[in-house]
Amino acid sequence: MPPLALAALKVAFLVLLYLFVWRTVRSSVVDLRAASPPRPAAAVGPPAPSRRRSRAPRRLVLVDERGRRSTAFSLEGTLQVGRAEACHVRLVDSYTSQFHARVFARDGAWFVEDLNSTNGTFLNERKVTSAAELHPGDRLRLGRTVLEVRA
Amino acid sequence: MPTLQQRRARARAGTELRLTVFAAALTACAYVLVVAGTTGKAPRGVAGFVAVIAAGYLAAHLATTRLARGADPAFVPTATALAGIGYAVVYRLDHALADNQFAWLLIGLALFVATLIVIRDHRVLDRYTYTIGLVGIGTLLLPMVPGLGESINGERLWIHLGPLSFQPSEIAKVLLVIFLASYLDRTKELLATSTRRIGPIRLPEPRSLGPLLVAWGVALVILFAEDDLGTSLLFFGIFLAMLWAATGRSAYLAVGLVLFAAASVAAYLLVPHVQVRIVAWLHALSPRYVENQGYQVAQGEFAMASGGILGTGLGQGHPGLIPAAATDFVFASLGEELGLLGTTVVLLMYLVLVWRGLRAALGRDDGFGKLLATGLSTTLGLQTFVIVGGITRLIPLTGVTLPFVSYGGSSLITNFILLALLVRISAPTPRAPAPAPGGTRAEGPPPAGTRAAASVDAPGDPSPEPAEHAEGGA
Repeated sequence: MPPLALAALKVAFLVLLYLFVWRTVRSSVVDLRAASPPRPAAAVGPPAPSRRRSRAPRRLVLVDERGRRSTAFSLEGTLQVGRAEACHVRLVDSYTSQFHARVFARDGAWFVEDLNSTNGTFLNERKVTSAAELHPGDRLRLGRTVLEVRA
Repeated sequence: MPTLQQRRARARAGTELRLTVFAAALTACAYVLVVAGTTGKAPRGVAGFVAVIAAGYLAAHLATTRLARGADPAFVPTATALAGIGYAVVYRLDHALADNQFAWLLIGLALFVATLIVIRDHRVLDRYTYTIGLVGIGTLLLPMVPGLGESINGERLWIHLGPLSFQPSEIAKVLLVIFLASYLDRTKELLATSTRRIGPIRLPEPRSLGPLLVAWGVALVILFAEDDLGTSLLFFGIFLAMLWAATGRSAYLAVGLVLFAAASVAAYLLVPHVQVRIVAWLHALSPRYVENQGYQVAQGEFAMASGGILGTGLGQGHPGLIPAAATDFVFASLGEELGLLGTTVVLLMYLVLVWRGLRAALGRDDGFGKLLATGLSTTLGLQTFVIVGGITRLIPLTGVTLPFVSYGGSSLITNFILLALLVRISAPTPRAPAPAPGGTRAEGPPPAGTRAAASVDAPGDPSPEPAEHAEGGA
């Protein structure tokens, strides 16, 4: 094979390599763009979306056994919930763990995530296994403590 | 009508198919060019080679789309393209090694598929935190067992099983990343909170830090005993990066770097092996060392220099002059024959893998998956940095393999298993019913409540167990 042909093939191979990386990156970027808009479409549950936009959760209210509302915690930043002193929402309940759950905001919505607590975190009596979105009116149960989500 | 997620999964499968075919074509081109460059003729019987390679790549692609629906389509094509380039370079250096490498590549692809079959949900791994951690450390210890272990180049890191030799530190790396992800996910809150103060330094609860330090110490001691500097550096980096990712506290990074500096000085003073590496790093080209301690590094630099921007062309340089040209120094061999542009594009491919890996971490909503993807991506990125940095003399040379490219069965197999885990994490986990409008997500079919302690599954269980005992009190 003449040297010139080999040199041409060499350059062609390099061009192919770059083309490959370019196509890979482009497909990832296109995928990323496709992923962002359908959010509202994906969230079409019957009446929820409009209500959701107008009323974002603002507070967590502690509810005692008799159903009375006591302390309120306003939702700001990321809140740790548990018995430990370092928690933002400190609970006095031996059925909760030191760091029981975390409440955090993402894209304007609020979520609760269980921190592998011993007795689990329940949102409307369903066990929280991955981050679950909070809506006004939801009941959050940790150990024996109940927190109500308020707008 | 297909749902949005199904349509997206289908689009991704199409993308991956196109890119995988491209990767197979690149592999074939590299092989043809190597043969043409060394013999001056087009190879005979190339069709058989292309058929087997393409079948292997497509099997990996099909496994991804069938077993991990909606997974990121960048992983399989990028990794197989790297493996294909690696095979071509190894073939160019040594035909006998290349036959082995070809077999390892196919075994690696088979294990990729097997990993996806066995691990349907990565959270299964979260159940076996300590088992995996212990197996990882045990695996690291294997080369120390008399009769089983073997020293190659003064580094005792091989085991022999009949005709097969294996480097257990490779697979131990993945096991320890899984262990760290699982362990840190459980304790990150405790680790991020300081409860003790010693002067200006605030420390987390020693109880939660203990097992971590033990795991880290044991790993390092073993590695020092086995004289495997590269892997030990890698472990330390992964450990720090994951601790940082889990807690979000950069103080851990600072303390870790100080510890690392201290360990480096100690190693330099105590281990003669390390002094040689430092000399070779600082004075590789000095006339005093270029023929002895600095020889390998210097030959690597000469190879890359003679490659220049475009390289000599595959099969037309003399990368065989570099010691360990197919294993540790495969990057220098690449640099000679594909030039600066070729090495850059290879680095870009690693960048794509790490980028998609971290993207997969962002896309997860379980802490374990996030940390696992972060750890695995860090492993790939850091390992590439350690060896490429060593060859280009940015840092002292420590022998680790260039993932997917270097010759070596243990490395290739491990990296394909690692890739399968990343693919698994990047795929959305199927959930039993559609997400309820209330926002609570139903559990996926396999394991979600992974902790033994979290067995209070029935909602409204009247007798939850007091947390005091399990948590150990305030």
